[in-house]
Amino acid sequence: MYTPLRIEPTRALLDIATFQRKLAAGIGHLRNMREPEYANTPRELVYSEDKLKVWHFTGHGRATSKTPLLIVYALVNTVWMTDLQPDRSMVRNLLEQGEDVYLIDWGYPDFADRWLTLDDYINGYLDRCVDVVRRRHGLDAINLLGICQGGAFSLCYTALHPGKVGNLITMVTPVDFHTPGNMLSHWCRNMDVDQFVDTVGNVPAALMNYVYLTLKPVRLNQQKYIGMVDILDSPAELEDFLRMERWIFDSPDQAGEAFRQFIKDFYQGNKLIKGTLQIGGKHVDLGMVTQPVLNIFAEQDHLVPPDASRALGEYVGTDDYTQLAFKGGHIGIYVSGRAQREVPPAIHQWLRQRA
Amino acid sequence: MADQVTDFLKNDFIRDYQALARQSWESWAKQLQQPATNDFFKPPTPPATSFASDALERTLAGLKGYFDWMQGVAAAGSQEPAGDWRQQLQQYFGGAGQPFAQAFGGIDSAGAEGFIRQWQSWLQGAQYGGFGDLPGADGATPAFGLNREQQMQQQTMAAAVLESLQASARYQTLIQRANAQGMERLQDKLALHAEPGRQIDSIKALYDLWVDAAEEAYAEIALSDEFREVYGEMVNSQMRVRHLQQQQTEQICLQLGVPTRAEVSSLGERLQSLRRELRAGHAPSPQDLAGEIAGLRRELAELKRQLADGRESASAATKRTAAEPAVSKSSARAAASPAKNAGAKAIAKVARKPATRKAAVPSPSRSKPVSRAGSRKRK
Repeated sequence: MYTPLRIEPTRALLDIATFQRKLAAGIGHLRNMREPEYANTPRELVYSEDKLKVWHFTGHGRATSKTPLLIVYALVNTVWMTDLQPDRSMVRNLLEQGEDVYLIDWGYPDFADRWLTLDDYINGYLDRCVDVVRRRHGLDAINLLGICQGGAFSLCYTALHPGKVGNLITMVTPVDFHTPGNMLSHWCRNMDVDQFVDTVGNVPAALMNYVYLTLKPVRLNQQKYIGMVDILDSPAELEDFLRMERWIFDSPDQAGEAFRQFIKDFYQGNKLIKGTLQIGGKHVDLGMVTQPVLNIFAEQDHLVPPDASRALGEYVGTDDYTQLAFKGGHIGIYVSGRAQREVPPAIHQWLRQRA
Repeated sequence: MADQVTDFLKNDFIRDYQALARQSWESWAKQLQQPATNDFFKPPTPPATSFASDALERTLAGLKGYFDWMQGVAAAGSQEPAGDWRQQLQQYFGGAGQPFAQAFGGIDSAGAEGFIRQWQSWLQGAQYGGFGDLPGADGATPAFGLNREQQMQQQTMAAAVLESLQASARYQTLIQRANAQGMERLQDKLALHAEPGRQIDSIKALYDLWVDAAEEAYAEIALSDEFREVYGEMVNSQMRVRHLQQQQTEQICLQLGVPTRAEVSSLGERLQSLRRELRAGHAPSPQDLAGEIAGLRRELAELKRQLADGRESASAATKRTAAEPAVSKSSARAAASPAKNAGAKAIAKVARKPATRKAAVPSPSRSKPVSRAGSRKRK
């Protein structure tokens, strides 16, 4: 019978010495590191309202697609995950495929936005953004790409304004919030959200990030940084790492009222699939989503479990439903090498077949 | 000689190395936390140390725990080998540098700042020495006189603080349970490595295996009903304390004539409500109306033209087909009313579901396009 542990003292010391050496080598790189920029794919501002901006991406030649694609991101985190860095940019890849891409940047809510409701976001902001893009192209309907919470918003919007959406794509979008393994949903089920929002007003981004870190505390708070030591001597890799850190922690606060509704109606009440959701007094019926739907989810998603997304197929009214399982996580679906190769081309081809 | 080397490794070297390593670590951390002072090299743009420092706090918290643990493992490994590998494992993970605790301890940030720290600040502000000194901390007592309301508020606060501390303690108990179960899982995982070629021979490999085990154990507990209840209780009790703090602060502000958060919030709510009403009642501009009227006129003219054409052709058809087979009433009505028919077609076009298509997205490697066919609707 052998012992499973065979760590020689000399080997252990060598490990420590190596760790130390890498740390020492990393000092210079870290100290001289500027805040990494995002990809900043050329874009023009086409609409703004309050803190919201609608960007139209330019700079990659003329789009071949006749119908523009509006990306609706989540309120949590910034939209720049879709355009993180030049070689890992979903936006850039979509442009290169020939899509005409618009993006809603929700901005950073402050206390003036404390009372924004889901109705304000979906039937207000989002609807006006859609109208702007429709008018610019002289179209009745455009294509929507909703991401995560933005996917849930897009589903609600499409159900409420079916005539304005031609094709709908949802990415890592929670639909059934009560699937087993949904840790976020599990944790907030017993929360008194009214008291919470009444007390904090807007929900601080740092608090949200804290909760996300505690989903996988050791991996996200420790192992990740231990792994970073291995790339301290590689400025390029370190820059990528720090850019991701910037994106993760440079997050907007959440408008209190919208947060309250989202937690109560979606996370706690699971009303989107129960058919009892009301936005601005209007009933949201996923059966009204009769447009073609492409539902993309990540198989290793720890924030939105695959089953939470997969459920969509059972509830939308369309007969033209396609789902695509991506081998990766909630973030990897935008920035991994595999994602660059697989996701934008799949979106483009799916849209082209329905143009 | 060999014995001397071994002794050196086990004792002096380890001790000296650990001291050196600690110094090295501290100087590394210290240096990173200070702004650049080298006059010979200055970045052409504003120094980037601020960003590095931002990331540093998080990074160091995780790295420090790991570093301490590595040293602990090395030190334990240099001593007489434990008889059983499980005992050896206990030595590795039993120390104060336990990385699981570090993983939780290090994620304190501005937004998630420990509420205990806030309470302590509040207690200091209220000039109490500790929870035991708070009126009502040992249970509610009747209050009298001019300061009755304040006393009652303090009692409520004390009770809320204690309740919150109890909830936090329950939460910590679950975290510790996750930690203990993580160790049990690690042993199970290690047992699978008890054969040549599969043995764990580096600190990093052991650490990675432990992370897998710890996360698995944590996830199981975090998804339990008990955790859900405790988590909710912890959040709710913390919010209750914070809410009471805010109430007391607001009362002081009101006495001083300082605008309060509640007042600002109330104004914000009214403003947002007005904005909604404004948008809902927003009349289209004259230009919009003119354009819409012109469009409607064009549409009306077209419909009239179609109607006139239809009447003519219907009249001609009636004359021409006296001997032709009869058609259904609805078809006849539709044929006799092309304008209505056009409208019906338009509605049908809106209401029609798109034709069923098979999912035609190419299947990237390991991706799974699934068509709707075969999926059962729950509705």
